[in-house]
Amino acid sequence: MIVCVAVVGHQNNPLYLQSFTDADDALKLHHIVHCSLDVIDERVNNPKKTGPTLNEAFLGLLYPSENYKAYGYLTNTKVKFIFVTTDLDVKDADVRNFFKRFHSAYVDAVSNPFHVPGKKITSKTFAERALSIFLFPFLGVGMVEPEVLNSYHETLNWKKPWCPFV
Amino acid sequence: MVSTYCNRFYSSKPELAARRIEAIGYQVGHQLSERYTMERPRFSDHLEAIKFICKDFWSELFKKQIDNLKTNHRGTFVLQDNRFRWLTRMSVEPTSGNTDASQADSSTSAADNKALPATSMHLYFPCGIIRGALTNLGIPCAVSADMSNLPACSFVIRIKA
Repeated sequence: MIVCVAVVGHQNNPLYLQSFTDADDALKLHHIVHCSLDVIDERVNNPKKTGPTLNEAFLGLLYPSENYKAYGYLTNTKVKFIFVTTDLDVKDADVRNFFKRFHSAYVDAVSNPFHVPGKKITSKTFAERALSIFLFPFLGVGMVEPEVLNSYHETLNWKKPWCPFV
Repeated sequence: MVSTYCNRFYSSKPELAARRIEAIGYQVGHQLSERYTMERPRFSDHLEAIKFICKDFWSELFKKQIDNLKTNHRGTFVLQDNRFRWLTRMSVEPTSGNTDASQADSSTSAADNKALPATSMHLYFPCGIIRGALTNLGIPCAVSADMSNLPACSFVIRIKA
């Protein structure tokens, strides 16, 4: 399960940070995201000279710990996407797919003329898309119980319940 | 859009209109570059980013590539477009059916005087687009346009160190 997604701007300023857990471990997740930023910097500044992965947007596994795995993605515009998952056996292709969908959601969000570049993303549509990607991270694999869904609605403070398949 | 800004909002202050149009272009370039670089690997240096602007970005915008790219390898690039789409419909020689030579001359020069600033106004928007796209790719720069022989025009990019 994905527990946290983050979008970080080119000056390492947070643009969007959302954790998907009920427990109060948001601080811990933010700490993980913060640590992975350093790993991203390291990867980008001394790239490994091996294979075709050179300069690819997808950075792969950044930061494995006992309970979590952090994956990173760096766009051409130096915007970083990080996501933290508790699944310990995730396929690389799935993660790539996830980032691709997340990236297109991000592009649509910043193309909003009312979005100020470099400021936090406040778009509700973006939050919804992030949530739907989180609920169905790997293209429809694994449905989510309605109670779980409703609890997220409460945490995100949405008045109208929203669900793609109900 | 250009004429609205020039004639209605800032009719008395052309410099202000130019700045405004350039800023709109900047925003457009900023957002478009985000979208068009989605599928690409990251750029390793400035030249690669400029090449992207010349080829893919330009063909997305104007359905053609930049015709000529020159650089001095010290941060200045000249992008030349021999048939810039937005200038192909600009009349360079104003038609004049007047037989009186002196009058025709004066009207031609008057029209020229009017047409040139109007044409240059239309180049602020693409300048802004290029600047916005490059800035978003992490290359702060200044862009100016030159239109000595229409409809060809060239954009000069100076990268700020």
